Amino acid sequence: MLQETNKLFIEVGSYQHNKYGNLVCGDSVLMHKSIKENRTIAVMSDGLGSGVKANVLSTMTASMALNFRIRREPITRTAKTIMDTLPVDSVRNISYSTFTIVDIESDGNAKIVEYDNPSLILVRQNKIIKLDSKNTIIESKLSNTNSENRIIKLSDILLQKEDRLIFFSDGVTQSGIGNWNMPFGWGDEVNEFILDAIKDNIDISARELSRKIVKQSELNDILKPKDDTSCVVFYVREPRKLLICTGPPFTEENDKYLAEIVRDYGGKKIICGGTTSKIISRELNLDILIDLNNVVSPLPPSSKMKGIDLVTEGIITLGSLSSILEQGTPKNLDQKGPHWDMFRMILDADIIDLVAGTKINIAHQDPTLPVELEIRRNVVKKLASLLETKYMKTVNLKFI
Amino acid sequence: MLNIRICVGTYCYITGGSDLIKIKDQIPEEIKNKVTFIGSACLGCDEEKETSKPPYAKVGDVLISECTEEKLLNEIYSQLGIER
Ligand code: FES
Repeated sequence: MLQETNKLFIEVGSYQHNKYGNLVCGDSVLMHKSIKENRTIAVMSDGLGSGVKANVLSTMTASMALNFRIRREPITRTAKTIMDTLPVDSVRNISYSTFTIVDIESDGNAKIVEYDNPSLILVRQNKIIKLDSKNTIIESKLSNTNSENRIIKLSDILLQKEDRLIFFSDGVTQSGIGNWNMPFGWGDEVNEFILDAIKDNIDISARELSRKIVKQSELNDILKPKDDTSCVVFYVREPRKLLICTGPPFTEENDKYLAEIVRDYGGKKIICGGTTSKIISRELNLDILIDLNNVVSPLPPSSKMKGIDLVTEGIITLGSLSSILEQGTPKNLDQKGPHWDMFRMILDADIIDLVAGTKINIAHQDPTLPVELEIRRNVVKKLASLLETKYMKTVNLKFI
Repeated sequence: MLNIRICVGTYCYITGGSDLIKIKDQIPEEIKNKVTFIGSACLGCDEEKETSKPPYAKVGDVLISECTEEKLLNEIYSQLGIER
């Protein structure tokens, strides 16, 4: 059926909080997921000071680091270029912004580069594992710079299922400084906090864990953070899968094949389209039930089919879904309608298998139709690219 | 019980099916308990090709094309054998 991937799945999530009273964050976090290479990269940079200047420094650093990494430039050259490019602070006469780069390949090999951020933490089987890293000095062409300030830490590790990599800016470790119970800040105590958080919720998502850490730092500072605070978490785990089938296959012989894909899929299932649901209903001998009492949105109502998590109309629903996706995750996630149901299922999934039938629905070609119907193939392609680039989902698109 | 299927497939929905499903809330008292409304994903416009005339609805086994509230009620009354 569909190609099974035994590759490791890597969830990455981050959370940030600005220094109290600041509108922009002096830390930058950038991420990149390459589907073709099955590679995930995240970069975090903390610019000197706070506010706009720090933001500019860290944004420059993070975007250089990310782009060099994507093109697999040698690490030392990357570090050197960044350090030599940053503008020099006129007050302190140093140019400065920290960075941490994590680059994980499909086989679980992770390359980690750290420059002056708090040390990255690897949690494996609920223990903190010390990374075996080596220091490298980045030579400077300017003789007056102190090379002791230019030491980067490199580590290579092989990740296993259920591993977590966690890194954060010093806003986390220095939070709570001056409190009676942490005169020097949160420091290494954060490690215990992380282990407890994982013990409490063994499946805690990357996004949730990063949020928890940043929120706790904020609490340490009694909700008035003294510095910009960022945290990034990687979580290697079993992926959550979602199948979306839309459109009848190009040839009728493939109807059976489509039905088998649906029947045998290990994950959540959505069928999107009237004709498509009729095909599945016929091939798998399942009844379609449409509840007309439950029409809540301007879209055609969804139906029920045993073993299928959601059955909706096709092209109009997909169109509305793609506008939701384009607008980005809204504050209110509880909105009603088949397109919202689909959106929520998508947010929860890591791997999305899109199977699109390419048979043209003759009826949709009627020039007198009051609404212009988009071509399914185009809508599906747009969806796939939105899910990959904007939502960092792994998408497998298959036309049949 | 007389089954009334109203198509909520794409083609019918945008050509008037979305209004047709509202009938079920305004159905006259005298026939209210004699009919059941059921939604349908597609009543077969895809097979009719050139001659498609949406929206479709089905009363019992009778397919109604270019269905309006008027046409639908007429068919229901005639099949129930009630004077309208
Ligand atoms: S969509 Fe209504 S009959 Fe096909």
